[in-house]
Amino acid sequence: MATKVLPAREPRSVGRSLLLTLPIALWSALMFAPIFRGASRPDRIAEAATGIFMVVLFFMMMRTWSTYRWRRWFFVAMGLLFPVGFIHTVMVMRGTMGIPIEEMIAGRTPFCFLPIPLLILPAALTKTLVFPGSILPNGGMSGGGMAAMAALWLGITIVVGKGWCSYACFFGGIEEGMASIPAKAKVRKIDPRWRYGPWAVLLAMVLLSLALFEPAYCMWLCPFKAVSEYVAARSTVGMIQNGIFIVLFAGLVIALPLLTKKRTQCAFFCPFGAFQSLFNKTSVFDVKIDKTRCTPCVLCQKSCPTMALTDESIAKGETLMSCMKCGACVDACPKDAAVWHIRGTEVAVKPERARLMFLYAAWAMAVMFGGRIIAGGLATILHLFV
Amino acid sequence: MAAPFAFGEALVLGLASGPACVASCGPVLVPSLLAERSGLRVNSRYLSAFLATRLLGYLLFAAVAWEVGALVALPSSTRSLIFAVVHVLLAVVLLRYAWSVGRVCDHVCTSTELVTIGGAGKHRIPGAAVLGFHTGVSLCPPFVAAGVRAAELANVLAAVLFFAVFFVGTSVWFVPFAGLGWVRRNEAVTTVARMAMALIALYYLYAGLATLIRKSTYGY
Amino acid sequence: MRTLMAKLGYTGAGLTLCAAVLAPFVLYGMFTKGFASLGLHVDEMYSGGPKVRTVQAAGYTIDIHRQVSPHMWQREKPFVQLDWKPVSALPSHVSDLVDIDGDGQPDVRVTFDVPKDSKAPLRVNVDSLNPRYEAMWNVGRKKFSDLIVRVDDAILVRVPVAQ
Repeated sequence: MATKVLPAREPRSVGRSLLLTLPIALWSALMFAPIFRGASRPDRIAEAATGIFMVVLFFMMMRTWSTYRWRRWFFVAMGLLFPVGFIHTVMVMRGTMGIPIEEMIAGRTPFCFLPIPLLILPAALTKTLVFPGSILPNGGMSGGGMAAMAALWLGITIVVGKGWCSYACFFGGIEEGMASIPAKAKVRKIDPRWRYGPWAVLLAMVLLSLALFEPAYCMWLCPFKAVSEYVAARSTVGMIQNGIFIVLFAGLVIALPLLTKKRTQCAFFCPFGAFQSLFNKTSVFDVKIDKTRCTPCVLCQKSCPTMALTDESIAKGETLMSCMKCGACVDACPKDAAVWHIRGTEVAVKPERARLMFLYAAWAMAVMFGGRIIAGGLATILHLFV
Repeated sequence: MAAPFAFGEALVLGLASGPACVASCGPVLVPSLLAERSGLRVNSRYLSAFLATRLLGYLLFAAVAWEVGALVALPSSTRSLIFAVVHVLLAVVLLRYAWSVGRVCDHVCTSTELVTIGGAGKHRIPGAAVLGFHTGVSLCPPFVAAGVRAAELANVLAAVLFFAVFFVGTSVWFVPFAGLGWVRRNEAVTTVARMAMALIALYYLYAGLATLIRKSTYGY
Repeated sequence: MRTLMAKLGYTGAGLTLCAAVLAPFVLYGMFTKGFASLGLHVDEMYSGGPKVRTVQAAGYTIDIHRQVSPHMWQREKPFVQLDWKPVSALPSHVSDLVDIDGDGQPDVRVTFDVPKDSKAPLRVNVDSLNPRYEAMWNVGRKKFSDLIVRVDDAILVRVPVAQ
C-alpha cells in the first residue's frame, strides 16, 4: 500500500497550511474546551494532547497534500484507545467484561452502532427494539442511551456517508494498524468474490434477527466482542459464542490484515459496512478516476484497503459503492488521476477544493467523536501515572 | 353451522399469523429466491413451488397428527425435538443448495427453470420444493396454534381443510416476495445469496444440534 | 446544465459542511429527541413488560408486570415479572403470597433470602398455587424467563407461565 508522499509537488507553504488548519484548530478548541471545567489533571492533559494531535494531523494533511497516512494515525489511535477506555469503564462499573443478565434486564447494555441495521425491520414491524439497552440514559453502562448513539450515527452518516468506516468507527483502527505493519503483503491474490461477504452477512443477520428477535450479529458473529464486552460465558453455549468471537477477531482483525495488508474484517465481513455503503449513494463527496490521466497502472487498486477499485470500475472512472473515502488511492496515484470529487462537478477540476471541503466536514466529525474517544483512552492511561 | 365459522377462523388466524410465518420462512426463502434467475415469472414459479410443498408439509403433518391424536397432546419437548430434526435437515439442504446454485448457474440456466439440488444430474430435486416442505413441517408457533384449533374439529378431513385455509391466509403475506424477481441478478447478488444461505444454514445446524443434545441455545 | 449540476454539487457540499458544524449543537439533540419520540420500546423479553399493579407490604412493595410472551422463534417460556422494591428496606428473608392475575386468590408463594452483600448470588423458590404458573426450585439466573436478579436495590423474580 503506497504511503509515501509522491514527488509530484512541493509541500504547501507553512503559512498557507496553518491558515487552512485554523478552522480545525478553532473547532478542536470548541470541542475540547468545555471539558476543562472541573476535569482532573490527567483529563485536562489528555484532552489537550488529543486536541493538539488532531490539529497537527490536519496540518500535515494540508502541508503534504496527502490524506491517507495522517488519517490513519488518528484512526489507529482511536482503534487502540477505545478498548482501553471502554474496558476500564466496564471493569470499574461491573468488575467484568462479561455482561451479566441483570445488566440486560436493567437495560444497561451499552449500545454500539453495529446492530443498527439489524434493529430496523423488527422496529418498523413491531415497534420493538431487540436490544437489551435503554432508549434514554439509564445509569450504569447505558451511557447516553440508544437514541443518542442512533443520533450520532445519523449525524455523522449524513456528513460522511461510508466515510464512517474511515473517520468514526472505533474498531476499524485495530485492523488498519495491523495492515500497516508489514512492508509487503504475503498473500496478494484474493478472490474478489470475498468482497460480497459483508452483504451476505448483512442479509443473513437481518433475516435471522427478525426471525429470532435478537441482535443476531452481536450474539454470534461480532469479532469486536473480544475487545469490548460479551455475554458472560456460564454455559457451553456461552463458551461457543465467545470462542467464535475470539477466532473471528484473531483471524479477521489480526492475522489476515497482517498477511494481506487489507482491512479484511471491513472488506469481507462487516455487515454494518455494507449497510453504510448504501449511504455512499446519497453522499455528496466521492472519489473518481480521471480517465484522461489514468494509465492504468492499478496502483490505486493495490493500495485500496477494502478492494473498492476493480478493473471495471477504474475503466468507468469510479470506485465501488464500498469506498470508505480513506484517501489511499488518491495518495497512491502517480498521475493524480484518482481524485476527490463533489457530485455534479467535473472530475479533476479543482480536486483539492473537493478534498478540502470533504476533509473539513470529515475531520470535524473525527474531532467531535473520535477525538473524545482518544482523549478518554489517554486519560485512562494517564490516571495510572499522574 | 360450525364448519364455516371454523374455516373463517382459519383464514383470520392465517392472516394474523402471516407476518410471523414470513419472519420465520424469510431466512430460507429470501436468499434462495435471490439465488434464482431474475424475472417475475421465474420467481413466482419458485415461490409457488415453495408454498405448494410448504402446504404439503402442513397437510401431511396435520393428517398424521390428527390420526394419532397428537395435535393437542403433543408435549413441548417432543415438539422441540421435531423442530430440531427439521432444522438439522434444513441446514444440510441449504448448504447443499448453496453449493449447487453456484455450480449450476455459472452460466444462464437454459435447461431447467428451477435450480436443482445435485446440479444437472439424474437425481435432481427442485430446491424450492425441498425447502418449502421443510419449512412446512417446522412446527412454528402459528402452525401449532392452528393445530390446536384443528384438533377440535370433527374429523381428519375437516382438520386438513382447516390447515389448508389457514395456509391460504398466511400465504397472502408471501406474495410480495415474488417482487424479488425484479432485482437484477449478477454475480454479486447470487454470491451474496449463496453466502447468506450458508451462514443461515450454520445457524440452523447449531440450533438443531443444540436442541437435540438438550442444551440451552442461550449463553447465560 | 453542467454549470447547474456543479452549482448543485457545491451547494450540497456546503450544506454538508453546515451539517458538520451543526451536528454537535443542533442535529445531535434533534435526532436524539426524534428517535426517543418514535414510540419504540425495548423488547419485553429484556425489560420485563409494563407494570400493571403494585402490592404494598411491610417496608416494601411488589410490582407485578404484565405477562410477557416470547416472540415466534424465541426459546423462552412466557413469564411474569415481579419486582420487590424496598420502601425502607427489604427483610433478610422474603416469603410472600402473590396474587398475580388480580383475582383475589394467591397464585404463587415466592421465597428468597436477601443477602447483605449486594453481589452475593440469589436463589428463589416459587411454589405454584395456580397451575397456570410453574414452580421453581432453587433457581438463580437460568434464562430470561425464570430467574432472580438484583437490579439496584430491587429484586426481580420472573415466574414462568405454563404453556
